[in-house]
Parts: sequence; structure tokens; C-alpha cells
Amino acid sequence: MIQLLLIPAALLIALVFGLPLVRYSWLSFHADSVLTGLVAIPNHGANWLRLLHDQRFWQDTYQTARFATVSVSLELLLAIAIALLLDQRWRGRGVVRAISLLPWALPTTVMALGWRWIFNTPYGPIEQFAELIGLQPLNILSNPNITWLATVVGDVWKTTPFAALILLAGLQTIPNDLYEAFYLEGGHPRAALFQITLPLLQPYLLLSLLFRLAQAFGIFDLIQVMTGGGPAGSTESLALYAYLNAMRFLDFGYSATVMISGFLLLVLACLLVWLIFQQASHWREAIK
Amino acid sequence: MMRRIFSKIALLFSLTSVALFASWALSSHPIQINILMPAPFAESTTDLVQQFNNDQHGKIKLQVTRGPLETESVSDLAISSLLLGKSPFDALLIDVTWLPKYAAAGWLTPLNPWIDQQEIDSIAPGAMLGNHFDGKLYRWPLVADMGLLYWRTDLMSEPPRTPEELIKVSLKLQKEGRVANGYVWQGRQYEGLSCVFLEVLDGFGGQWLEPGTDNVGLDSSASLKAASWLRELISSGVSPEAVINYAENEALQAFKSGDVALMRNWPYAWGELQKPNSDVRGNVGVTTMVASDHNRSTSTLGSWGFSILKGSSNPEAAAEAIAFLTSTSAQKKLFTNDSYTPTKTELFKDQELLSKSQILPELAKALQSTDQRPATPLYAQISDVLQRNLSSILTGQSSVSYAMANAQANTEKILMAARETK
Amino acid sequence: MMRQRKLWITVLLLWSLAPLLWQLYTSFCTHEALLQPLAEHNQRWTLDNYRQVLTANPPFWRYLLNSVIVGIGSTSLTLLIAIPAAYSLSKVSQNVARVAKFILLGAALFPYVLLFLALLELARSFNLGNNLLALSFPYAGLSMPLAVLLLLSAFRDLPSELEEAARLEGLDLWQRLRWVLIPLIGPATASTAILVFLFSWNEYPIALTWISRADLLTLPVAIARIAGSSVYSIPYGAYAAATVLGALPLLLLVLIFQRQIVSGLTQGAIKG
Repeated sequence: MIQLLLIPAALLIALVFGLPLVRYSWLSFHADSVLTGLVAIPNHGANWLRLLHDQRFWQDTYQTARFATVSVSLELLLAIAIALLLDQRWRGRGVVRAISLLPWALPTTVMALGWRWIFNTPYGPIEQFAELIGLQPLNILSNPNITWLATVVGDVWKTTPFAALILLAGLQTIPNDLYEAFYLEGGHPRAALFQITLPLLQPYLLLSLLFRLAQAFGIFDLIQVMTGGGPAGSTESLALYAYLNAMRFLDFGYSATVMISGFLLLVLACLLVWLIFQQASHWREAIK
Repeated sequence: MMRRIFSKIALLFSLTSVALFASWALSSHPIQINILMPAPFAESTTDLVQQFNNDQHGKIKLQVTRGPLETESVSDLAISSLLLGKSPFDALLIDVTWLPKYAAAGWLTPLNPWIDQQEIDSIAPGAMLGNHFDGKLYRWPLVADMGLLYWRTDLMSEPPRTPEELIKVSLKLQKEGRVANGYVWQGRQYEGLSCVFLEVLDGFGGQWLEPGTDNVGLDSSASLKAASWLRELISSGVSPEAVINYAENEALQAFKSGDVALMRNWPYAWGELQKPNSDVRGNVGVTTMVASDHNRSTSTLGSWGFSILKGSSNPEAAAEAIAFLTSTSAQKKLFTNDSYTPTKTELFKDQELLSKSQILPELAKALQSTDQRPATPLYAQISDVLQRNLSSILTGQSSVSYAMANAQANTEKILMAARETK
Repeated sequence: MMRQRKLWITVLLLWSLAPLLWQLYTSFCTHEALLQPLAEHNQRWTLDNYRQVLTANPPFWRYLLNSVIVGIGSTSLTLLIAIPAAYSLSKVSQNVARVAKFILLGAALFPYVLLFLALLELARSFNLGNNLLALSFPYAGLSMPLAVLLLLSAFRDLPSELEEAARLEGLDLWQRLRWVLIPLIGPATASTAILVFLFSWNEYPIALTWISRADLLTLPVAIARIAGSSVYSIPYGAYAAATVLGALPLLLLVLIFQRQIVSGLTQGAIKG
């Protein structure tokens, strides 16, 4: 009887998450584009063959992975620092915590537009400053070698508070007596960080890492508004490529193929991270 | 307590909705027509729309939905409304390159019932390019739009005519310290870059896609020359590095401030350059794009036109509104107020317009040498391929020969995949 | 130690606020002042940017209103479905609950952008496009996993004797939920509600594809599209004014509810 209460939620989740995956898998074996008059016709794996030879898909995969790795690593490092800072007791902590949460609460598109202005050449503050100290124009948003870093900055700024909060929750589960005992034995605070805090924080690190990795892998709004994928396609992500295929090229079969493979790659990446964490704790056990 | 409040609210709500429905059903309401236009056009047609609605005395009520400014975002908006089904729009103001895609997707209704041959003949031939698909008329042009070369009459006595001349003139003016930059254009990775390239490519005697065939000409020697020339503009300092991120507005802004000798832009820029806040007011001339041989000087055809959606419940009324918005008097108004180029041949000889504008003859000339971007439902893909590769040349990521070979191969791949689908 | 901490706090505040302050500054600058910030200007400050955004058609507050409608609709729907589901999960056997939790966690991690195409097709099949309240369905679905996980841990924390006592009093399932359990998980419900509200307020790709009528746009889409607010110059002042106006409601929300947000996220993290 009580189980009946689960049904609406289960149905909704199946509709929103399950159905799309089934639908994409089916679509990925069909041609469904402007050339077929938007009707799905079986094409015997032609989409997948095209994907294998699609330079742009692989370039975007690389770029998405690069973006996700760099921004998630930076985020976690910063988040650890922020969580440690916020875990201590000092006056005004509540206000500072609220302010540091702000970037996370704002719509991504709002600040994506803001970053576009901040990195603008020649009127944005960064270029103005560069000019003031006598540098050449940096052309941040038109240089394929650095534009993606600007998108990383935008992402790190927005999502670090979220990771910091999860880690903060983890810090609060660590009993204080552990530290006290450690210091009584003459331990150094820095050693405590590596021998107590980080090991005990590990499940939370894993959680925020997986969560952030998945979100960064699906990065879309920030890129679409901030750079549109340019210059020279150097910031295009898989999600943006899938979006373009569907909404601009009207090629739904191929768009679905891109999305399914993006999803599979992500699952692979998550498994890898999980394995590494498992391995790491084994090693630590072994050292002990 | 709570329950009583809830039932009161529910009662109130149902009463209001009944009243609203009744008042809606009883009032005689005009036929509503909704047209989606990009922001600039929505703005410049405000008066015309009002006039149309007044003339109609409540028979038809025309409403314009103001789309985004960026062309691509307008397209995204239109497409998502069409994909959703039950589009809120009756007609769209669409770019010339979208037509094959929209028509092939089955979204448009042919305009032939409302527009006869005589009317078609009254349009300048250049402006009629790209309005048909599969032999049917699907689009009726509001304005003609061609790429133009803007030059500073106070800095040179006549504009450069060849690519080499352009570089020479610019470098000379820059060396003399009279301008900071020689030439600005649209170098960002977006549709504008394809337009810029097509003009230069034609100027060197090349062809992007041979009409009616799948022959791609992106790795031809003309193509390589065109791409190298664009790269050279940046490497020689004729164009600022930032041009890689310029769209029309950035180019206009730079030229307007008086720091630049030459600019590639569309006709609308003329009006902007004559405004009081322009530093180059009265010192600007207009001509067609440079070319290695001046017979080849080409303008990329931009041009916006109306299409009626298949889903519209009142195509008749929509056609009437379109006829009004594209009438001779409407075109006159759009040209005088916003420098939008007319499409009717007679207007290029109109004494009143000629006396008001010294560039009308130049526009007429440019309209005779327009070239259309490849007319295929796959245009968005192949233009995207070209833009990416050009952008990687301009940013110095890859060499001209590598990127253009890449563009050639990828374009061929797209066309081949399409052939297999058919 | 103290001094060092103050330094780090300052850095944190700067990092969080500087980009926002820059937007604030930009929004009050005249166009000329933006283009030549160091030069002398007769008029440096202006309210024009705000005027422009607020008097545009449709005016900016319309988008705020739309977002509020969508936010309230999706939050209510989510809670309506998630609370019974979480309650039921807290009663089922360990093994079922473990599998369910695994699935929920997987779904919560899913980069939902990838779903937009299929959801668009759903909208077309059921004619849900251009309807603000209809957006609540995908939003409720997308926030369901997180909501159920958060509420589940709240139900788990309740002592089981409480419900037992209520049952002995003769209260049926609905009465127990309504009068005993739901009031007790109030704080967790509030946190969940705020997180769902924030999600639907900020969601972009689905709103982008489900809404094509200008007067129904939600804030994030409207902001992204505001690139067209001025015609021939680059309207960064207006952009900035729009971002400031768009950020204000959230600023208030975060300042008022920061405790709930923090406890919501941390609860989820500890129990999840």
C-alpha cells in the first residue's frame, strides 16, 4: 500500500530520465533530419560510423574533457580551502558564507553575459588593466589558446561554492577529539590536514568530484552565452555540438548519437574516478 | 479555516475565468497576425505596422514579435517554435540562407497564390536570388542587403579596387599616422565570416559550391588565395588582431570613431555613419568589394524576406500584411529612415530618393553583382565548417592549406552523407 | 594566524563579489564612460540603462514574474510528489531502498542538458510548449532525485515511536502524514523547496526550447536573448543593468535563506 506512494515519482523520473535515453538510443540508428523531411528512417548505424570519423566530435570530446578536468580540479582545490576557512569559528562567518554562496545561486546565463563583458577587448576591465601596465591587447575571447581558460574561470567562480558546501558538511562530521589527540602526540597542524582531515573527507571529495564532473561534462549555458563555441570552435562542448546538430542543422538522428556517446563517455569517466579513489584508499591502508 | 479560504479562492478564480471567457467570446475580434522579426527590423517597421493596423480598421491586427538581434539566435527561436508545433507566428522574416532548410522541413507555404509574375518582375534580379525552392516561391524580400566596402573620402581620393591596393593604401595611411588601423571587417566565427569570405573568394575567381552540383571549391587556388589574403590583413597589421572577434557592430563602432580607413559592412551602416555622434560623418564613400580583376567584384547577398508558415490559420491575412510591408511606399520609408536597400527596380531611379541619398546608385550597382551563398538545406552545416576553418586560419591555429583542405574534406563528407540519405 | 585568516576572508569576498560589483558599476555608467573609462566625462553616471531595460517590450519585470510562476509551480509539484515518495522509501525494505537510492543518485548526477531534445519532443507530443506551468513537469522530474534523497534522510531521522504512537491514536496514513510527519520534517522541506526553486529559476536549456513566445520567457533565457535590446551599438550597459536586476531577487533569497540552503545541501551530503 505504502509503495503506491512511490509511483508518481517513479513515473516522472522514468519519463524525464529514462524515456530520453531509450529514445536517443533508438534515434541514433535512424536518419531523422531536414533531408528526410523530419521523419525517422532506419539507417543501419550510419550515424555511428559518421561519429567515428567526425573530427569535430572528437575535438569537442577532447575539449569537454579538458574543460571538465581543469575546472573540476581547480574547483576542488579552492573548495577545500574555502571549506577549511568556513569551518573555523569567527565573527561574521554567516554573512561571509552567504556571500560566498552568491555566485552559485545566480543563473549561469546572467554571469556568462557578465564575463563576456569583463573579458571584452578592448573595453573590459582586464584589457584596461593590461593596457594600463603597458601590455599588448590580450584578446582573451579571440585567442583559441586562452579563451577556454576564460570559460574555466567562469565555471570555477560559479560552482566552487557548491563543492565547498559539501566539503564543509564533511568537515563537520569529523570529531574534534581526533585532532586533540593528534596534537597531544605532538602532531603539526599541517600534518593533521593530510593525516586526518583529507582522509576522512574522502567520501565527500568523491561525491563532489563525481557531481561536479558530471555537470562540467554537460557544460552548455556558460559556453553558449559566453563564446558560442568559438573562436575556431576551441570552446565548443559536446552538449553544444548536440544542440547545434538538433536546433540549427535539424539533424536529430545525429544529435541523439552525439548525446548518447557523450553519456557513455561520462559513465566511463565516472567509473575511472571511482576506481582511482578505491585504489587510493587501498594504498593508504597498505602504507598504514 | 484553511479549507474555507481555499474554496473562496477557487470560487473567485472560476468566476473570473468565466467572465474573461465570456468577454472574449462576445467581442468581435480582428484576425490576429503575428510576425517574428529580428530586433532591428521590428524597430524600423513600428510605424508601418501602426499604419497598417489603422488602415485595416480592426479587420486584421498585425503584431510584430521582436526577436533577438543576432541572426543565429533569431533562427534558433524560430526553429524551436516550429519544432514545438503550434508556432505562435503566422509569418517569419527570414534570412536568405535559411529558406532551403525551412522549405525542406515542410514548414513554409508557397506564396504563389498571392504573388503574380508581374510583381516578381518588378523586383531587382539581385534581390530575387534565393527566394525559390524546388521551383516554388517561398519568400518575399523586404530589403536587399549586400556587402559593401566603406571608405574614407577625407583620407583617399578613390577607394582601392584590388586586394593588393587595399593593403598598400592602408599601410601607407597607417605609417603616416593618420589612422590606427587600415581595414575592419567581420572576423568572428559566425555567419558574417562566411559572407566576408564569399566576396573575397569570388573576387579571386573562385566558387564555394557549384550550384546544382556537389562540387566544392574550397581547396581551389582561388580559395587559398582568398584565405591567405584575409590572414595577411591581420598579420601585416592592416586589420587589428581584435578583428578576429568582430561582428558588424564592432566593425561599425571602430570605423565610426574615425580610427579606421576602410570597413566591410552592410548598407544599414551608412545611416549610422551619418548620425551626429559619428566622427566620420560626411567623409564616407561606398563601393563594391575589392577583386583581383574588377569584373569580378562581388557583393554577398544578405537580404531578409517574409515567409508564411504552413501552420498559420490566416495565410490570406498574413499575405496582405506582407504586401503592405513590402510596398513601394514602405520601402521608400525604410530606405529614408534606416538605409535599408529597396528591392523594387523603380525605386533605384526614384528622383526623390536619389536627391536624398548619394549612395543609391552605388547600391544599385552592388545589387547587380551579388552572389548568393550555397542554396541547400545543409547550408548551416557547411557554413559552420567554413567558419571554423577560417577562424582557425585567422587565429593562426592552422596553416591556410591545411585548414582549407580540411574545410573541403568536411564539406564533401556532409554532402556525401546527405546523398546517401536520399 | 588571525591576520592570515583576515587576509583569506578578504580574498574570498573579493573573488565572490568583484565580478558582481563590476556589473553594478557598468550598469550605472554612460556608454561614453564605458568606452573611455579614464577620460574626463561631463556625464559619467546614468540610470538610462535601467530605464531601457525596464521599458523594453516586454518589460523586464515580466521575466521575473514568469520565473516566479515557474519556480513556485515546480517547487509545489516537486514537494507534492517527493514527500510521499520519500516517506514510502523510508518504510520499504533495506534492499529496495538501497537500489532506489543508487538510481536516484545516478539521476541526480546526470547532466540533464543532454535530455533537452527528447523533452522537446515530449512537449510537442503533449502540446506543452509555451506554457509556463507545463515547465513544472520537466523541472519537477529533474529535481525529483535530489528532493527525494533529501526528504528521505529527514524521514529516516524521525524516531519510529512517534508514528507508532500516532497509529495507536487511530490516525490513518494521510492523517499521520499531514498532522505528525510533515510538520516534523518542516526544516528539510524548506531546504528542499529552496533548492528546487533555485534550480527552476536558473534552468536554461529546457526553458530555451520549450518557450518561444517573448512574453513567456523565463529570466535566464531572456537575459541570454537580451543581446538584442539595443540595435546598433554594443549594449553592455543594458546587459549589466539586466544582470543586476536579475541577480537582485536571488541576492535577497540567499541572504534570507542561507541557513536553509546550507543545511539542505549539507544534510544531503552527509546522508546521501
